[in-house]
Amino acid sequence: METKNKGYEMSGFLKIAIRNLLKGPTTDPYPFGETFVPENLRGRLSVEASACTACGTCEEVCPSGAIHITKNGSVYLHTVWYNTCCYCGNCEFFCPTGAIKLTNNFHTANTEEEKFKFITVATISEIECEICKKKFMPPSEELLKRAYPNMVKGVENFRTLCPDCRRKQAFERLHK
Amino acid sequence: MSIITRSPFLFRINTGSCNGCDVELATTAMIPRYDVERLGCRYTGSPKHADILLVTGPITARSKPYLLEVLDELPRPFVVVAVGTCPTSCGIFRDSYAIEGPLDKYIQVDVNVPGCPPRPQAIIDGVAKALEIWKQKIRDMK
Repeated sequence: METKNKGYEMSGFLKIAIRNLLKGPTTDPYPFGETFVPENLRGRLSVEASACTACGTCEEVCPSGAIHITKNGSVYLHTVWYNTCCYCGNCEFFCPTGAIKLTNNFHTANTEEEKFKFITVATISEIECEICKKKFMPPSEELLKRAYPNMVKGVENFRTLCPDCRRKQAFERLHK
Repeated sequence: MSIITRSPFLFRINTGSCNGCDVELATTAMIPRYDVERLGCRYTGSPKHADILLVTGPITARSKPYLLEVLDELPRPFVVVAVGTCPTSCGIFRDSYAIEGPLDKYIQVDVNVPGCPPRPQAIIDGVAKALEIWKQKIRDMK
């Protein structure tokens, strides 16, 4: 009985050994070759400047204070510093326009000289009002689609008007 | 410059980390899938043998004296790698009263690997960068 068991174990071992010999190495060839990256890996951000309205939601919900939105003249700068980002995905979850997306780019190693340069900056520009020529931040198409799914066609013209002019125009449209 | 180059030893210290980065470091070092020994380096148990120091954790007030002790014991030249967001910039713990980081307050850090935790591949990237810096430091010493 014992010898039979031993023989069985030996054949099992040989089977595994031969299978492993044929399978080749299991080591990920990463620094010298390609690696597998999961589709939903939370890596560096990508900010779509045309969809962003600089509302500041991402800055508010970021637990590590990695996102800053600053105003410089008539443009807003959306800055992400990856050396304090914890890749939690809160910004993507709370973004009302879907402008922020976490990509699966995991290459985060940087030297000390690059420490404070390891950022991405998205430039979100204001537009001029058609009537009063005042600079203002227009609602992006993505935001309008989400806020008003069944948008009336005439309302689209109000996109290029500043809040004051828009109010006036909407009132005149209804009562004239 | 001799033909035979030295191989560096890695030493890892946890300064109040949540263990996430330590698990990734153990994964990088020990399982054959992300074998860091392909780069010619090995883990050591003593800071006196170490050439590359891997620090995880945001340096809590409790762990700070142990970190400073390790920094004194390292042979020169050495390379410091901050693994994870915590030692790099303290991340989400940045304003806590119990945190004495980030790491570059105490020592010249050479490579930062942010991530919460970083992928094993990102850690391998960081170790590869640290290796180059370490070789450069040895050349500068000669």
